[in-house]
Amino acid sequence: MTLRRDMGNKQLLLLHSIASSRTGFLGLCLVSAMALMAVFAPWIAPYDPTQIDMLNRLQPPSLSHWMGTDLTGRDVFSRLIWGARPSLQVGILAVLIGLPGGFAVGLLAGFYRGTILEAILMRIVEIIAAVPLLIVAIAVVGVLGVKPMPLGPFMITNEVKIIVVLGFLYIPGLARVVFAVAASEATSDYIRARRIQGVGDFTLMVSDILPNCLSVVIVWGTLLTAGGVLAEAGLSFVGLGVQPPDASWGVMLSDARKFIFSGEWWLLLFPGLAISLTVIGLNLLGDALRDILDPRQYTGPRLD
Amino acid sequence: MWEYVRRAAFSVVALFLISFLVFCLTHVVPGSPASVVLDPDTPEEEILEWERDHNLHLPVITQYKIWLVNTLNGDLGESVITERDLAGELAYSIPITVEWVGLSFLLAVVLGLPLGIISALKPGSWVDHIARVIAITGISVPDYWVALMLVAFVAVGLGWFPAGGFVPLSSGLGPHLSALVLPVLTLGLHYMAVLSRYTRASMLEALSQDYVRTARAMGLPPWQVWLYALKNALPPVVNVGAMSFGFSFAHALFIEYVFGIAGLSLALLNAIHELDYPMIQVTVLVITSIFILANLAADLANLALNPKLRQSR
Repeated sequence: MTLRRDMGNKQLLLLHSIASSRTGFLGLCLVSAMALMAVFAPWIAPYDPTQIDMLNRLQPPSLSHWMGTDLTGRDVFSRLIWGARPSLQVGILAVLIGLPGGFAVGLLAGFYRGTILEAILMRIVEIIAAVPLLIVAIAVVGVLGVKPMPLGPFMITNEVKIIVVLGFLYIPGLARVVFAVAASEATSDYIRARRIQGVGDFTLMVSDILPNCLSVVIVWGTLLTAGGVLAEAGLSFVGLGVQPPDASWGVMLSDARKFIFSGEWWLLLFPGLAISLTVIGLNLLGDALRDILDPRQYTGPRLD
Repeated sequence: MWEYVRRAAFSVVALFLISFLVFCLTHVVPGSPASVVLDPDTPEEEILEWERDHNLHLPVITQYKIWLVNTLNGDLGESVITERDLAGELAYSIPITVEWVGLSFLLAVVLGLPLGIISALKPGSWVDHIARVIAITGISVPDYWVALMLVAFVAVGLGWFPAGGFVPLSSGLGPHLSALVLPVLTLGLHYMAVLSRYTRASMLEALSQDYVRTARAMGLPPWQVWLYALKNALPPVVNVGAMSFGFSFAHALFIEYVFGIAGLSLALLNAIHELDYPMIQVTVLVITSIFILANLAADLANLALNPKLRQSR
């Protein structure tokens, strides 16, 4: 009971510290707005995002279509709201997929520092980290093809492929930050004391060291989510992500590309703003979290 | 000395492993490349023959060995789609990418370092606020969107620069450079933001050290104190800078796509769309090599700048 209340207070305190910095507050607002848009898309969007209306094609912004309509008369505002879904899905789920791997590798290597296990794990991490993530993601998705792949009873859509590939590529970065914390915790006095109490290695790693890695991982996770949003939009933009006619900000920009010579500015402006505001929000939130949770570290993850 | 060798050797090993992974990736995919290249109703024997011609019937390891030996001998093979020599294609596209990405990075360093330093010297001032807004916007706004906006409003709207394409130097210096302005600006501003963020953070860290306080207390002129701090702030910036240089080649992808610059990334994207697997292998390998070499350069520069690192391990 007391523990529960403690946790609640801690989270409230964190929220309070974020909101008390101006940039952190702005980031929190932007991210919440985008998350609400994604979750409540069916209720907020005034039109069906894939509804074709040839009579009203390429309409500039008006009262009935706040952000205008596209080539086939679809409402840009509705597509924008639905487009928040793939962006945030990829951004968040890729991090969640990368987390277990990152924790496992980082904790093991950090805990057994100086052993052959650490040497092997961290060399592998270094090698994967030596690859430009974006290029690999593009090559993998491109080679696998953008068509949905059947896997037993499930259909693996392109979005799932991107989530898995990005998640896997996040592991080395996450492993490194977990390693850094775990390695310094593993040699600390309280761990030595716990060991003398007869606590096993696994318990030490999971219930003593892991919680202490959380704050660093929260910061990284937020910034990596921003990277994932950018990656989804970018891949969709070059035709390797979400496939039309589904709405995604990258797909919308890719459609808008055909109109850069004819002046339909609303097609270009709004999806780009949506991506930018989401990523700015996540980056501001990540920076604020870092200032609060991890003040000594000042370098961010590599996102591209 | 040993440390230098160790890092260089590590880069070479990384390069081999990555080339192997990329090779496996392009060979493990479902569906033979033959199904992409040949007609759907090609008789079975011809498909098998085509696969034999391209060594596809051998185990992946053997194929990799053949490919590696050929590549090390400078024979990159040919495209399965156009049947053109890959070495020739690369000799055309690499210089283009290296030129415009290099210029972008130069712009990023020339603008980003001073911006970060000024920002750190007067934290909280209006200059700092503006610099931070530029930095957070620069790292967050997708560069292909910036590129599209520049094309729509500056190239098409105002008609100042060409909307895309690459103009070789042989068509005159003016047209050559004017076609480069928008792509260089797009990529350059992005990395300006990245570098200024790191420079600011690193410089602030250096300025908070005790030796700076001591130097100030001894009455040294501010510029001399700043110079001391800068000297200590630079190594991490060099490190991040070299890494960013490697990344900028990966980042160039979307910009080459928007502007239709026939560089390395556009070659990769086209190869992916055509499933031209030898081309995919080679372009990914080249981009990764640039990245690894940039990282190696960063490591070696850091070793040279920071004597403490040389004794570690």
